[in-house]
Amino acid sequence: MAWIDQLIREGEKRVGEIEVVFAEGTSVSADLKRRNISIASRSDDCGLAIRVISKGKIGSSTTNDPRHWEQCLNAAVSSARLATAQPWDGLPKPSEGLAATDTSCNDPAISLEPDAARALLASLLDGSSEHPADVTSGSATLSMSTMTLANSQGLQAESRHTGVSVSLEAIAGQSTGSEFAQSCFMDIDPYAVGERAAFFAARSTGGKDIATGSYDVILSPIAYAELLGAAFVPALSGRNVHARRSRLADRLGEQVMDSRFSLYDDPHREKGLGSTLRDGEGVPARRIDFVENGILKSFAYDLRTAYRYGKTTTGSAVRGGASSGTAIGHHNLVLDGPRDDITQEPAIYVHSVIGAHTANPMNGDFSVEMANAFRMGGGTFSEPVRSAMLAANVFDMHTGIVGISQEVRQIGPLVLPSIRLCGLRVIGK
Amino acid sequence: MNLPSDVRYYDLRHVAGHATLIDIDNGVVESAGTSFFNKAVVRVLGPHGWGILEADKVDPEDQRQIRGLIASAARLAAITRQDVVLSDAPHEALPVPQMLERPGDISLEEKTGLLSRVEKAAALPGITNRRANYVEREERISFCDSSGTEMSYGMCWSGFNVLAVASRNGNVQMGYERQHTIRGMDLRHKEEFGKKAAEIAIKLLDAGHAKGGRMRAVLDPELAGVFAHEAVGHASEGDLIQEGNSVLSGKIGERIGDEQLTIVDDPSLPEFGFEPFDAEGVSVRRTEIVRNGVINAYLHNRETLAAIGHGLPGHARAMPGEVPLVRMSNTFIENGDATLDEIVEECGNGILLKGSRGGQVDPGRGVFQFNAEYGYLIEDGECTWMVRDVSLSGDILSTLHDIILCGNDRKMHPGYCGKGGQSVPVSDGAPHILLKNAVVGGSGVD
Repeated sequence: MAWIDQLIREGEKRVGEIEVVFAEGTSVSADLKRRNISIASRSDDCGLAIRVISKGKIGSSTTNDPRHWEQCLNAAVSSARLATAQPWDGLPKPSEGLAATDTSCNDPAISLEPDAARALLASLLDGSSEHPADVTSGSATLSMSTMTLANSQGLQAESRHTGVSVSLEAIAGQSTGSEFAQSCFMDIDPYAVGERAAFFAARSTGGKDIATGSYDVILSPIAYAELLGAAFVPALSGRNVHARRSRLADRLGEQVMDSRFSLYDDPHREKGLGSTLRDGEGVPARRIDFVENGILKSFAYDLRTAYRYGKTTTGSAVRGGASSGTAIGHHNLVLDGPRDDITQEPAIYVHSVIGAHTANPMNGDFSVEMANAFRMGGGTFSEPVRSAMLAANVFDMHTGIVGISQEVRQIGPLVLPSIRLCGLRVIGK
Repeated sequence: MNLPSDVRYYDLRHVAGHATLIDIDNGVVESAGTSFFNKAVVRVLGPHGWGILEADKVDPEDQRQIRGLIASAARLAAITRQDVVLSDAPHEALPVPQMLERPGDISLEEKTGLLSRVEKAAALPGITNRRANYVEREERISFCDSSGTEMSYGMCWSGFNVLAVASRNGNVQMGYERQHTIRGMDLRHKEEFGKKAAEIAIKLLDAGHAKGGRMRAVLDPELAGVFAHEAVGHASEGDLIQEGNSVLSGKIGERIGDEQLTIVDDPSLPEFGFEPFDAEGVSVRRTEIVRNGVINAYLHNRETLAAIGHGLPGHARAMPGEVPLVRMSNTFIENGDATLDEIVEECGNGILLKGSRGGQVDPGRGVFQFNAEYGYLIEDGECTWMVRDVSLSGDILSTLHDIILCGNDRKMHPGYCGKGGQSVPVSDGAPHILLKNAVVGGSGVD
């Protein structure tokens, strides 16, 4: 795009370095109100993010109207004047051998037709009919986007993304159930999503109270993802580590999980939702072993944090969307280790939790309400638990993982099994 | 404007403006800059339901562009089958509360300097990290619809947060203070917020864990406001009622709490959730969700009011360029007549909970959870040991009966509320309240 070249040339006249990200995308959605489609919508959006670096001072601005890129460039330059200078060793140059266009998450079979969204909803509804529950709402979305990243070091790269996602909520009496699926490829099973949502609503009726005490607990990938994301993931950010906002800050080389398990970021995972050739700053993405056989090995860095603290970027810069800057994150974070059937011995199975975001992000303490919880054993659910809270610590919980399931599930940029934990505090009502 | 024959109604909501963000982390100005946005949403009612287009770069004066958007939205509406009807609604705008000092008139340099003072004030001995953020969003909002309504207003939401982290021997604690307003620049002489965040973080190093279980609990006005928001506000939203996904469905006229309990949502109140008119161009008014302990009304947009009744429209809200949803605005529990001393004494043995880290509700199941920043055990009517990381959960239909005293000291607290992927400014408030049989989640044991 000629205007991006012009923008970079203009920027170079005023600052040492400039980075430009331009994204355009379209999505089509259809929403259910009970069993009827009530809304069909399309969203066309674009975003321009400019970052400039002048003598170690970093400035940025965004706009969703690239016709006014001069205003955005002026704002980015002004922004840099106010920033505190830091060590800076340059934006990335083009990487040899890396394709200019990234299609890791692009499926040409995805079409943005409202009828395609309608067909997904029909399949969700068919699946939900397998159990005695009423659908309250549901949604299907198809999307397509292109992101161009260019900088004054000569890097120009493009990535194309497609996406499909469905969700359904159901109720049976006063029991609710919900399920979702998302993928970059047209490979989701909406029928199964509808079936599971209705299953959890119907199967959770007639729940029994549970006495307060210590229990073995199985967290589903959804429940685990909510708690992992609330406290453990932020603690892996190099920025939080050096700012003393991470409980893991002083624990490199120490055991933070049972020695059978590892936690790593795999940006090249086939069909991963976060799979990518480059990170949000254009740095080649690579595998990062955060926890290897239970030992904490690494933290995540972007360019800014790496230069400031004398580290090397781990290619961990991620972008939240077209109009946002970068943050330290991960691409496909995987919990791995020897897998087993963890459902044979008695335990409380927790499908999801309410209030994970209220966990203390510094020390990892949480007390949350369990949702769709069941007593289970011998591989099957027995009676549903009516209502109870689960109180523990996200960091301590990881040293006490006793087993992980054979099945894994991709939930956004997380690839997780169910995990089995010993002796967690459950507060009954 | 000539409409396609199958269009029963359309509206256009256009929002343009800027957002200024400043981030200071341990004395380092990480970022201080301004970004720009220009977004619109066009809604069209076809023969059955809605066709909606969310678009960038829309010029509300460009009739040809608008006609094209309406025609595209009408084509989308063709796949809908839900029969949507809109209630009649008044379209009057309230005046926007005046700002004493317009944030846009103050330079970014000066704002950065003022925020830096707040951040530095958190640098007490024992504090290992401090971070302060300033956020300012100025918007020009215009609305028009096919019935000839045309309205517009400008508003600015601004505020700051300050975080202080204390750590000792692997024990990491935080204090967090925030202040947000629609009344203009409010960043001068705010050092006490930084200091308070630091003092709380340091005190929490020596706080214990609460022992989970049922007990009496006193909630401070901030936490009791979040309780009203989570336990009652969301479940009274008309879209959830219409979907059959709320335990308050079909409960109009039923007693849910004591005679003294009144819970209100009022977007006309000049607090952080204020709007001069809603996202459908509808006049905003006070809705008493619970009046004297009885469920009185739901929160509505035009569609949900026509579908299920009981209440007023004017509760539709949206982020720029997003679909309006039924939302809360300024939600609060009305004052009772007890003093705080009387409430603590009546509590006897229990827990006093302060501050909020947010909450969440499953309105269909009628179960909610919310989290206090810290608290104190109450023993024989006196506050004693400090405790940390305390959550409460409860059942909507039974918990309101457990409010046995309401104080006379209501305060509103600004914040943001998430629903359907959209975050909008709200305020929550209440006096101190006393709950019997509160379910407190904590990992402490005897």
